Amino acid sequence: MNEVKILDGNTFVVSDEAGDIEASLTDPTGLFSFDTRFLSKWVLTIDGQRLNPLSVDDLQYFETRFFLVPGTGTVYVDAKLSVIRLRAVGGGFHEVLTILNHDDRPVTLDVRIAADSDFADLFEVKDALKKSGAYARRIDDGRLVLGYKRETFERETWISATQPATIDDQGLRFKVTLEPHGRWETDLHVATGVDAPGQSVAIPKYEGGSRRAKPNMERSLEKWLDEAPRLECDWASLNATYRRSLVDLAALRFSPVSLPGHYLPAAGLPWFMTLFGRDSIFTSLQALPFSAELAATTLTALGLWQGARVDDFRDEDPGRILHELRFGELTAFEERPHSPYYGAADATPLYVVLLDEYERWTGDTRRVRALEPVARAALSWIDDYADLQGNGYVSYKRRNEKTGLENQCWKDSWDSISYRDGRLPGFPRATCELQGYAYDARVRGARLARDVWKDPAYAERLEKQAAELKRRFNRDFWVEDGEYFALALDADGAQVDALASNIGHLLWSGIVDKNKAKRVVRHLMSTRLYSGWGVRTLAEGEGRYNPIGYHVGTIWPFDNSFIAWGLRRYGFKEEAARIAAGILDAAEFFEGRLPEAFGGYPRALTRFPVQYPTACSPQAWSTGAPLLLLRAVLGLEPVGEHLLVDPALPQGIGHLELLDIPGRWGRIDAFGRGTVDVDRVGRGRRQLGVLPQSKVKPTAGSRVHGH
Amino acid sequence: MADPTRAFFEGLAAKGHEPLLASFSGSLRFDLSGGERTEHWHVDLKRGDVAVSHNDHDADVVLSTDRTTFDAVLAGETNAMAALLRGTVTVRGKFILLLAFQRLFRGSPGAHDELPTAGYAKGRR
Repeated sequence: MNEVKILDGNTFVVSDEAGDIEASLTDPTGLFSFDTRFLSKWVLTIDGQRLNPLSVDDLQYFETRFFLVPGTGTVYVDAKLSVIRLRAVGGGFHEVLTILNHDDRPVTLDVRIAADSDFADLFEVKDALKKSGAYARRIDDGRLVLGYKRETFERETWISATQPATIDDQGLRFKVTLEPHGRWETDLHVATGVDAPGQSVAIPKYEGGSRRAKPNMERSLEKWLDEAPRLECDWASLNATYRRSLVDLAALRFSPVSLPGHYLPAAGLPWFMTLFGRDSIFTSLQALPFSAELAATTLTALGLWQGARVDDFRDEDPGRILHELRFGELTAFEERPHSPYYGAADATPLYVVLLDEYERWTGDTRRVRALEPVARAALSWIDDYADLQGNGYVSYKRRNEKTGLENQCWKDSWDSISYRDGRLPGFPRATCELQGYAYDARVRGARLARDVWKDPAYAERLEKQAAELKRRFNRDFWVEDGEYFALALDADGAQVDALASNIGHLLWSGIVDKNKAKRVVRHLMSTRLYSGWGVRTLAEGEGRYNPIGYHVGTIWPFDNSFIAWGLRRYGFKEEAARIAAGILDAAEFFEGRLPEAFGGYPRALTRFPVQYPTACSPQAWSTGAPLLLLRAVLGLEPVGEHLLVDPALPQGIGHLELLDIPGRWGRIDAFGRGTVDVDRVGRGRRQLGVLPQSKVKPTAGSRVHGH
Repeated sequence: MADPTRAFFEGLAAKGHEPLLASFSGSLRFDLSGGERTEHWHVDLKRGDVAVSHNDHDADVVLSTDRTTFDAVLAGETNAMAALLRGTVTVRGKFILLLAFQRLFRGSPGAHDELPTAGYAKGRR
């Protein structure tokens, strides 16, 4: 079944192509808000019959139109009715139901909407848990109210229509009489009552008979697109991918309850529409050259939630940046620790990395000064709480052994961290990229301390720590016989020696000694890691390698975008362009929407990228990947009040312009020229980045202008 | 009999300044019901400087709950955010201020003392 998903912040609807919702364990459809399912059933029938979808128009990410006809049982008989459902999300959803009679005789129809809700917590939807509370239904002032109550925890769904309806506790019924070629219409309002912060229980937002849904977007999609830089490029699919990324990123924007009217990127649709430390930070980093607002809100929101105490259930420590915040029943009753949960070892150093990168782009020193205590507490967390082995490295081991996360790095599945022979190490685990992030956090923290916070002594201390960490890291993590960095150190301080994509993040962080960089790059571009589409999470030949293993062989566009940035950092322009080429070319197969991950099969074997079966889509950091890859191929780097442009384009792109790049310089245009081999045009599908070497020297430039 | 709520607010008043709240200004009121009456605690916050009083004046944010729940929050037995989601605690007004203030509540009692890091060691001292 094809799912149709529309959303506004953390409120979203997942339905089938007819617009119906009929949730089951295998079909997690429904209307969801604040991590609770408010409708598990919403089925339209006419004279007892379900309708057949003719087409679905995805008008906006918050609005869809379904065209339906009754089944006639045969293609030789035309339907005499058309049904249109126009649905928009916002504080619940709003649906305009229109029925058209194409017959020259009048008809009388029994139109029925069957409705129900299981009020499942999102975690229950995924794990199929039993409810402890009680359900209640009532008819209240012409509305059907579905309710759930467990002690003081209450959630309600209010359903009403603008046309007279017979309401029973299973739904709404309309007796519709249509003249020949007549038309009938009703507005259906489904309002969700959530006892979220700053909101009372059951405020139906659609009361007052408004015709249209009011998505809680203060800024329209058009404005968002207008404000983003413009891309001009002779590689057609890149234009489409860019636009898709911008639109999806707009959809993934989420206004946290603490900062109404401000937006940050949620992690992914539909199950991850909430604040995640790691995902929100990575996506904000990717999007910085395109919109700094996401980073600004992420920094402020994560700062507000910064850990302040030692709490084992939530894996919270003073200074720690949260991993995930949830609002559902299991969180409310402390059966799950997401209020918020802090079990991530990377979010805290990455917070400082984002703060510095944000300042480089925006020059917003006011915010950076306001967040100084947060950044200092984050840097102290690295020293005081992250070094679980007392060996100077960041490592992780959950204290909540029941519902906490075992792997607190981005590769968070159970088998992601392994030795070459496939064995899994014990805990704590000090994965290599965490050391890179900690190094970079200190280097960047030092810059902020010197330039913004005016504390040179602190800057010096951080720089000394960073240099010391780099020295030890290049000694302790270097796998001599393979000439790469170990994936992790285990509980005994021994190397977890599998070869994995994590070495690419090390380049991004700058922790790699110059004389080792070339060997790291050689591994990244080798056939063991590089499939032709991208760098695999785990190298071919390792014990646990599986081309469709979640973190043990698939290719993650997000991962590759940071690897490309890392390659640029060490001057490997051509390699960065090759990484960008593979991922951007793969995007065309997904109509511009890169999945979370795709298979690690060699490109020559499959000819197309194979989507990972259960990948969530759109996912924020996959959506952000093309943006960061554009930055990488254009070589955009803020230096003081200027933006440096140093393009190295993938083979096959003749010209690439990014216009109106916002930042502390106002707006800047960046353009680069590459080469296209004309001989190859017209012979099958052109592929990015695999054309013969160019004979023409690429040119580059930038143009500043005020606004 | 021990009175964790009184001890908490009096401790805060005596301290006069709370570094964890240094970036925040505004007023908070805690309406705590129990038995016959509702007890009010009013906190005026100016960039970390705190003034605590017992009045029921208007505030930028008002938290309402019962004494038992609030005592449990202060003891680290209940999490304030979870209690809010349960509906045991309700909040009206500027949530951001309460979010800042809840940093002063303790964490859950646990076994973290056995961990060797400097931070936990500091906690033991």
